[in-house]
Amino acid sequence: MREQGNGIHPGLVVLVGTLAGTMAPGAFATQYLSIEQAQQLMFPAATAFRPAPVQLSSEQMHAMETLSGLPARSVGWRVTAAWQDAKLLGYVVQDDVIGKVELISYAVALSPQGEVGQVEILAYRESHGFEIRNPAWRRQFVGKTAQAGLKVGEGIANISGATLSCTHVTDGVRRIAALVQVVFKA
Amino acid sequence: MMSLLSKRQLPHMLAAAFCVLPTLAQASEAELARRLDQLAAELQSVRAELAATRQQAAAAAIAAPVAPVAPVVAATTPTAAAPAADNPSAPQTVIGGYGEVNYNRPTKHARDAQTDVRRVVIGVSHRFDEKTKLVTEFEWEHAVTSAGDRGEAAVEQAYIEREFGNGLRAKAGLFLIPAGLLNTNHEPTAFYGVERNFVETAIIPSTWREAGVGVSSTLENGLTWDVGLTTGFDLGKWDATSTDGRESPLGSIHQEGQLAKSRDLAVHGALNWRGVPGLLLGGSLFSGKAGQQSTDFAGNAARVTIWDAHARYTPGRWDLSALYARGSISNAGNLNLASLGSPNPIPSVFSGWYTQAAFRAVQSGDYTLSPFVRYERFNTAQAYAGLPAGSDAVPGPNEKVVTVGANLRVGEGVVLKADYQKFSEDTTRDRLNLGLGYAF
Repeated sequence: MREQGNGIHPGLVVLVGTLAGTMAPGAFATQYLSIEQAQQLMFPAATAFRPAPVQLSSEQMHAMETLSGLPARSVGWRVTAAWQDAKLLGYVVQDDVIGKVELISYAVALSPQGEVGQVEILAYRESHGFEIRNPAWRRQFVGKTAQAGLKVGEGIANISGATLSCTHVTDGVRRIAALVQVVFKA
Repeated sequence: MMSLLSKRQLPHMLAAAFCVLPTLAQASEAELARRLDQLAAELQSVRAELAATRQQAAAAAIAAPVAPVAPVVAATTPTAAAPAADNPSAPQTVIGGYGEVNYNRPTKHARDAQTDVRRVVIGVSHRFDEKTKLVTEFEWEHAVTSAGDRGEAAVEQAYIEREFGNGLRAKAGLFLIPAGLLNTNHEPTAFYGVERNFVETAIIPSTWREAGVGVSSTLENGLTWDVGLTTGFDLGKWDATSTDGRESPLGSIHQEGQLAKSRDLAVHGALNWRGVPGLLLGGSLFSGKAGQQSTDFAGNAARVTIWDAHARYTPGRWDLSALYARGSISNAGNLNLASLGSPNPIPSVFSGWYTQAAFRAVQSGDYTLSPFVRYERFNTAQAYAGLPAGSDAVPGPNEKVVTVGANLRVGEGVVLKADYQKFSEDTTRDRLNLGLGYAF
């Protein structure tokens, strides 16, 4: 009967103090980007974004599957070309994959040759695994192609506690890299 | 888009085919040939239309005059700018689940070999809107639950989660405490070995959930924080004559949202940093009084506190982890004095640690074989308070367990496991384990 009610543990006070210090304003700038925001972010030099929707032929789908080692999944793809005046800067491909049970919406910027330039998470809905938004994790994709380095454990490090989200986004980016190589690479 | 249209058109096309087929059967050969020609012509016309559409799109991309960014971006709306948040294909109600069937064979007492449907869990989550969802999990343990059986049915999770615009997420209901590495990732496909590790079952209870409210957020630097106010433990449930408390001190006094005494609530917090890809560093703290201000109870001043520090690093094919957990039950000396002579007093301290290394050795098709080794050291009764000198109850030994085995993953959702566990103190527990697990 020495103490009544719920005393707050001193350790928690320290913990909360630490948290307060880490909550910098604007820390959530990349959360829930629209596709337009993502396009601007990924190709800041672009003067125009033009739709370049893709309808895959069966030969293209086959080539894409061979290159990525994954099912092509769909015939139609949401692709936008980024232009700086008359110069083609690259492409933005928008896609959704299932994380564990919910959809992850993301966009990938690629060079005209199919090298990944940037990955942006547009919307994440799972209860866990928000860490795939972490820029350090997304930076691992930069400069890679469908040929190498776009697999969890082989070029892309896993995020503990978000294995399915990591794997599915990584596979999605590899599929998109293959798409751009097959359809657009000269 | 095309695939969606095709899906919508498919039933109509199938219906048309079923109508046409009987007619075809009756038609003459010439009539058939004529219709085939007609179909071929129609196909040709559809192909031409598709080619024209492609050319138009290509021409629009190449030949259109360059426009300022803003209007053109707006023009992309129909094809690419539909907000993902409004994606009509996003599932609203999702059924998931996991389960494990285990076989344990004590190597020195093979007659005690046992097979058990350890648990089968069904989860239903429902998204009310883009920011609000319900998560539930229902668990059956040991196959059969009735008055005469030893199984258990339980609500493992039932909470509402709401996301706020500033990145904060709040939840309320019955949810998992973010302690250690295993508690929030306890599906059999997520851990190595047939059985969950000892430190995260004996020291940190598993699967540990409390009812209450929690808030969390993930910062851009990779730091995730959690804080919450929940129900705590009920020390009134401690049975000094049973061995349950010796197996898992907190597992024997948890309340699991079952008419949980809530006079004394508990607070928790956790920090997990994933700023370097492949690395996780974290820790958690949970503390609350456990007497629940019960009438004539000698343990009303008692407090349960448990904390842990953990690390996991997954470079390439390696999966390395380590965890230390320490719990205490303070001000329980009076209770121990009152039950003097009982075999299982309340420990004032219990702790343990483990380190584990796994390696993805073979990957062939959708089979992945990962051998692993784990070393654990834990003590569920490191010290007792309140007992007079010469008392029969002596603190427990530091049990040390080496587990060697492998997980064979089949695709993403199925795992077959085999391992051998060697105990250094109670060698009668040495055992061979086989397990089947799934999660979806």
